[in-house]
Amino acid sequence: MALIEVRGLTFRYPEREQPALDGVSLSVERGAFVVLCGKSGCGKSTLLRHLRTALTPHGERSGEVRFDGRPLDGVGLREQAARIGFVQQSPDNQIVTDKVWHELAFGLESLGEPAPAIRRRVAEMASFFGIQEWYEKSVAELSGGQKQILALASVMAMQPDVLVLDEPTAQLDPIAAEDFIGTLAKIHDEIGTTVVLSEHRLEAALPRAGQAVVMSRGRVVCAGAPSGVGRRLHALGDPMLAAMPTPARVFFAAAEKKLDSATAAAGGLAQNDNGSIPLTVREGREWLGARAAECRPYNSQDPIGHETSVGAAFCRPQKTSAPPVVSLKDVWFRYDRAGRDVVRDLSLTLAAGEFLCVVGGNGTGKSTMLRILTGENRVWRGKVRVFVADPQKAGARGLAEAGLSALPQDPQTLFTRPTVFDNLIDVAAYHNKKAAPEEIEAEVRRVCALTEIEDLLAFHPYDVSGGEQQRIGLAMALLARPKILLLDEPTKGMDSFFKEKFSRILRRLTADGASVLMVSHDVEFCARHADRCALFFNGSVVSEGAPREFFSGNSFYTTAASRMSRGLIDGAVTAEDILDNLFAVATPSDTF
Amino acid sequence: MPPLQRAGQAPPLRWAVSMGNATQYSAFAGYHPLVNYLFFGYVVLVTALFPHPVFLAISFAAALGTSACLARRSMPKFGLLLAPPLMALAVVFNVCFTHRGVTILGYLPSGNPLTLESLLYGAASALMIGGVVLWCACYGAVMTSDKFLYLFGRVVPAMSLILSMALRFLPRYRAQAARIASARRGIGMGVSSPANPLAKLRAGGEILSVMVTWALENAIETSDSMRARGYGLPGRTAYANYRLDDRDRGLLVVFAVAITILLVLVFSRIVSVSYYPVFVMNAGGASPAPTVVWAAAYPVWRAVAYACHAAVCFLPLGLEVREDWIWRRARTGMLVDGAD
Repeated sequence: MALIEVRGLTFRYPEREQPALDGVSLSVERGAFVVLCGKSGCGKSTLLRHLRTALTPHGERSGEVRFDGRPLDGVGLREQAARIGFVQQSPDNQIVTDKVWHELAFGLESLGEPAPAIRRRVAEMASFFGIQEWYEKSVAELSGGQKQILALASVMAMQPDVLVLDEPTAQLDPIAAEDFIGTLAKIHDEIGTTVVLSEHRLEAALPRAGQAVVMSRGRVVCAGAPSGVGRRLHALGDPMLAAMPTPARVFFAAAEKKLDSATAAAGGLAQNDNGSIPLTVREGREWLGARAAECRPYNSQDPIGHETSVGAAFCRPQKTSAPPVVSLKDVWFRYDRAGRDVVRDLSLTLAAGEFLCVVGGNGTGKSTMLRILTGENRVWRGKVRVFVADPQKAGARGLAEAGLSALPQDPQTLFTRPTVFDNLIDVAAYHNKKAAPEEIEAEVRRVCALTEIEDLLAFHPYDVSGGEQQRIGLAMALLARPKILLLDEPTKGMDSFFKEKFSRILRRLTADGASVLMVSHDVEFCARHADRCALFFNGSVVSEGAPREFFSGNSFYTTAASRMSRGLIDGAVTAEDILDNLFAVATPSDTF
Repeated sequence: MPPLQRAGQAPPLRWAVSMGNATQYSAFAGYHPLVNYLFFGYVVLVTALFPHPVFLAISFAAALGTSACLARRSMPKFGLLLAPPLMALAVVFNVCFTHRGVTILGYLPSGNPLTLESLLYGAASALMIGGVVLWCACYGAVMTSDKFLYLFGRVVPAMSLILSMALRFLPRYRAQAARIASARRGIGMGVSSPANPLAKLRAGGEILSVMVTWALENAIETSDSMRARGYGLPGRTAYANYRLDDRDRGLLVVFAVAITILLVLVFSRIVSVSYYPVFVMNAGGASPAPTVVWAAAYPVWRAVAYACHAAVCFLPLGLEVREDWIWRRARTGMLVDGAD
């Protein structure tokens, strides 16, 4: 018997036309690892919240949720709290108390466990998750990844049968996200807890999953083993395919190419229909290795023919002649006299019309560098120039008038008005003081169309999803008519669909002569779209170059496609690169 | 003498949590919060309510010693800096504005008399104020938020959680306000010149209004997280990392004995003081005295009272010295392991 059974669940939020869930049926077996995916706003969160009575949203509902053979409403709140663990998105908001040990004990306190039982469980959990080191710390001292692990541990301390997680990695950097998913896999493997996880970062989660469920507009599109779901999405031509891990995307694209090509054998794909598809880099390498004879090394002189997506970005000419709009020379910065240097001996330039991505780990000083450019941090040694002016002398107003605009990591910090529209009008009016109201509104409408937020204008900015907030923030930054746009982790929380759109927005900006400096963990995005990438480490740039030479030169800190094809197709950094060079050598081999 | 370490038992967790940071803990802070709290309750109350000069002098000396000792372990030196000017003010104020007392030493420029009694009372007030300030500073260093929450969580469970949440939120709010200011600056809408107070005030107001929305919005997710972990179910317990062990019980017995003796001696007026109109110290016991022998023993009893008070007041300092001594011996290899 399934542990969780959802039957024909339909749900509509008050005052919304479209149902958030439309006849959803789902069954989760005991001990399963289920990954729920779909575009942002497809109803994933709403569905997960129906798995706990205490969190179920208000609205019209029909259908049924059963837990362990009983209707969920009939399962007592105490039993639900103990048996169905729930982890949410924000590491900061879901932590309640000020100390790590108190947070671990919180759930057990609620259940009224006696102190010796709590002591034991807390000790067990701290040991299992390896958090003894920070057991006595204040929560404020932890990193985002540590906070999220703490949230998971404090739920696990209640020893639930099933863990429900609502996009738990959306606000983490990729390394912390991998760690989190790894911890989750460890719980699943070693304790046997049932896991229901919603995710848009499928690269890490999907290979671990026994079952994948794809949702779209409140409906389940398909469900089953990840390989089967991948095939089904491919057959349907569903856009969710773009969110699949790189090896899987290469696999399907290669299958299509093979079929389209003249040498394709009949039913090439069908032959393998029941086999698994490569999901991890290792499986991808095995799959590619089996076709090594058909590969050729990447040749950067090759014209790249296809203009299908944004992969074409690679043959962009280098813009070297223009003088830099931003330059940092031998810059040192620390927060206080006795502290250590956060930025040390940094030299970097940004040319007009250039899209520069700075990648690197957490705490290496990337965001600090951005705040040097906005004039918030004053350097103690070295020279900083933004449009030939020193940011300290120009002041915030001066920099803004010259065209510097910075989008913060958390877009919520920008929202000062009760509706999205008011927020945008505010910024537009501020930057076009002499314009008539109609002109300002037209400008706002134009930017809204560009960032696809027309439908959200009447909402409170806090009522829309994280990815949508990111877009609103972007619209606000664009309304400042930037000539230099500074972006801090803009793709965090964006789904793969909007990332493509986002790259086109940036591309249009740079085509108009604006420069973009983006600080990011999103290696895949940077590899596909940047003009130049730089690796930040220990306060300065240790290597830089065009994305191809940059990422093919790195062995670990590089894209999945590069890791997958290393030694087989040298120099390939995106899925498209692999495809271009796969089957490039004609062989008699027909089997796919 | 409590044993140094018990075989076969894990070291008590609370040692390390006591000062928030393992490197800063003091010997006394390693005791149970109840012991800490009763100690500070005693010293502050006695110092503030009983103006006997010997008691005040003992208390002040102990407070000074304990503060100096804790200051070595990075306690804020605020108390040590604040006490001297307050003490000086106490003397000056009392002498200038109180003219009670019969022993006139001279006349102030204002024409009012300067009396010996007001001078003495001023000095006693100075010791009292200095003592209370220093003890409060020590209290802040020893009674961390966890300990306070632990003690009062048992009385009012909801309060303990509320305080813990408040301690989490306040630093978060401060950090968020800074982030909002920085974000607005980034899109060119920050304060341009800090010299303009009106613009600064307006920007501050705007940030405050954003903060309110932000706090309310994020509180929803926090409350979801609390409900998801069963908050609101009846029968909530409060967990803490503290355990009352024999060491703590020993100290509680010492407190109880000392306090009982003191109360008896104070209420029988064997130790007493009065400043006005004439300074009289230890005027006598219950009058008439029950027996001659009892009356003859008064000086002994007074000595006992002072000793009891001193024993309690100097307790943290004594524990500290004892611990230093243990560690010195341990380091020089003179302490054989398991020595009891």
